[in-house]
Amino acid sequence: MKMTELSLIWKDKLENVDRLRMNAPVYYAVDFEIKKELELPVYGYITLKGSEANYRVKITEIKKYEPMPGIIKKTTKKLQTLLKIEEVQDIAAIPLSEFRKEDGTYLKRVTKFSYGMIEEEKEIKIKKFREFTPEEKELDENVRKKYGIALPFSVIEKLVKVKEELELNKKEWDKVIDKVVEKYKKRRVDPYEAVGIVAAQSIGEPGTQMTLRTFHYAGVAEMNVTLGLPRLIEIVDARSQPSTPTMEIYLKEGIREDEEKVKEVAKKIESTTIIDVADVITSVADMSLTIVPDSKKMEGRGVKIEDIVDSLSKLKTYKLTVELSEDRIKVRLPEASYKKLYLLGESIKTLTLRGIKGISRAIVRKSRDSSEWVIYTQGSNLGDVLDLEEVDGKRTRTNNIIEIAEVLGIEAARNAIIEEAINTLEQQGLNVDVRHIMLVADTMTYNGVVEAIGRHGIAGEKESVLARAAFEITSKHLLTAGVLGEEDHLRGVAENIIVGQPVTLGTGAVTLIYKGKKR
Amino acid sequence: MEYTRFEIARIIGARALQISMGAPILIHVPEDLIDPLDIAMYEFKKGAIPITVKRKAQ
Repeated sequence: MKMTELSLIWKDKLENVDRLRMNAPVYYAVDFEIKKELELPVYGYITLKGSEANYRVKITEIKKYEPMPGIIKKTTKKLQTLLKIEEVQDIAAIPLSEFRKEDGTYLKRVTKFSYGMIEEEKEIKIKKFREFTPEEKELDENVRKKYGIALPFSVIEKLVKVKEELELNKKEWDKVIDKVVEKYKKRRVDPYEAVGIVAAQSIGEPGTQMTLRTFHYAGVAEMNVTLGLPRLIEIVDARSQPSTPTMEIYLKEGIREDEEKVKEVAKKIESTTIIDVADVITSVADMSLTIVPDSKKMEGRGVKIEDIVDSLSKLKTYKLTVELSEDRIKVRLPEASYKKLYLLGESIKTLTLRGIKGISRAIVRKSRDSSEWVIYTQGSNLGDVLDLEEVDGKRTRTNNIIEIAEVLGIEAARNAIIEEAINTLEQQGLNVDVRHIMLVADTMTYNGVVEAIGRHGIAGEKESVLARAAFEITSKHLLTAGVLGEEDHLRGVAENIIVGQPVTLGTGAVTLIYKGKKR
Repeated sequence: MEYTRFEIARIIGARALQISMGAPILIHVPEDLIDPLDIAMYEFKKGAIPITVKRKAQ
């Protein structure tokens, strides 16, 4: 791979990349012109945000744009060039600043298209899903041949591991596989089984045994966390803010063992507003505000009086005159106005001196196995916390599911829903099979965004008019359906019950035919 | 082909209805077997019921 060669870099949408990936090799019509003669094949880098390259494509042909069947278009108009895309590779993001332009300077941002070279020594990591090892592959094939079913990836993985750990011989090994397949078959769900209903019942019944009160459990180290039924409802409702957002922040090696260093980080995370360390007094007599810092509080939070003065300059809406005298700060407005004075007082109170927005408290505690120090917080801000250098992003967690979806993606959100729900149930001593909760998590996230279960989420989006009408606000749904002339194909359960037909579930979904005599 | 439990239920149910309405029984059944449902289940066990299922896509 000659990486010093000139390559193309352009900004594109994720949806186009997905289309390319699915259809490659394919011609791709783009809205820029390539004037230089390039030696083919050439690599193209696609950036989504304009700051880092996320995908690499192999281009084997470049020609002038002409309409052709079967091509993918980047935009609808002003198409200029056709690129033949051979394949699309997911690469570990490369900052665009590592690309060099022909004149030797480095790229900064790409808004549309640019040429660029990448340093020769820079290694390009192509992301790949883990594939079967030869041994696993063999096992997979054998199981398919012998039993006619495919075991899940994780089961195959575990089987191979168990074999090595326990040093099983061929006979024992076959027995184990036999048992595993038998168990696996037994646990499979029959087609047309009403899994949703079963899941609802399986979560609902233990739910009746949970504390119904909005129950704030006084956790260890003076922190409150919503638990029990209120928390479960919160998860299922996909609230944008849980009533008690908390984080568990784990730190990197070298810091986590040292309590002092961890406390240092905690101070950095905990957001301190002026009202936390000082009193703000509004004086109407001379139209001024006086900030009276509390030296004890300031020391505890590690704030100096200068910090407060500095932070006042952040208030750009006002031109203030700030006087510092005898540990007191006097702030004056350029003009006398009661309203402005009041507003200024309010905004000064909530002015952040330091820390991460949204995190009101950070407590340092030993982890459960007391091998390290962990920061527990009240309030959550995953994105900003992960940006801190000291934080171990792999283990740090928050209970704000929507935030996880935004920062880490929908799959992470799905896992978070499962984990949070299982944990809430377990704390109440209830054991629900994960698969029920997995089903709930899947229906909440299959769309790509976290949706609530209920009127505003899943139930409100059903395709069938009758099913929606049967759920809530019947007349509204029927009326709009009538106005829009909606059709109902009677595919779901509720519709068929309304109409008086057998539902397409269980025995209702079986079609019988005559077999004839076997002779 | 292995039947799911729903399919088994449907097949036996359909056959039991036929028997209860007087359809001839296809194999010899023990004399003390009177209930149409029991007979249908017996027939199913012996593989004598000439009914199968049509699945959507295989």
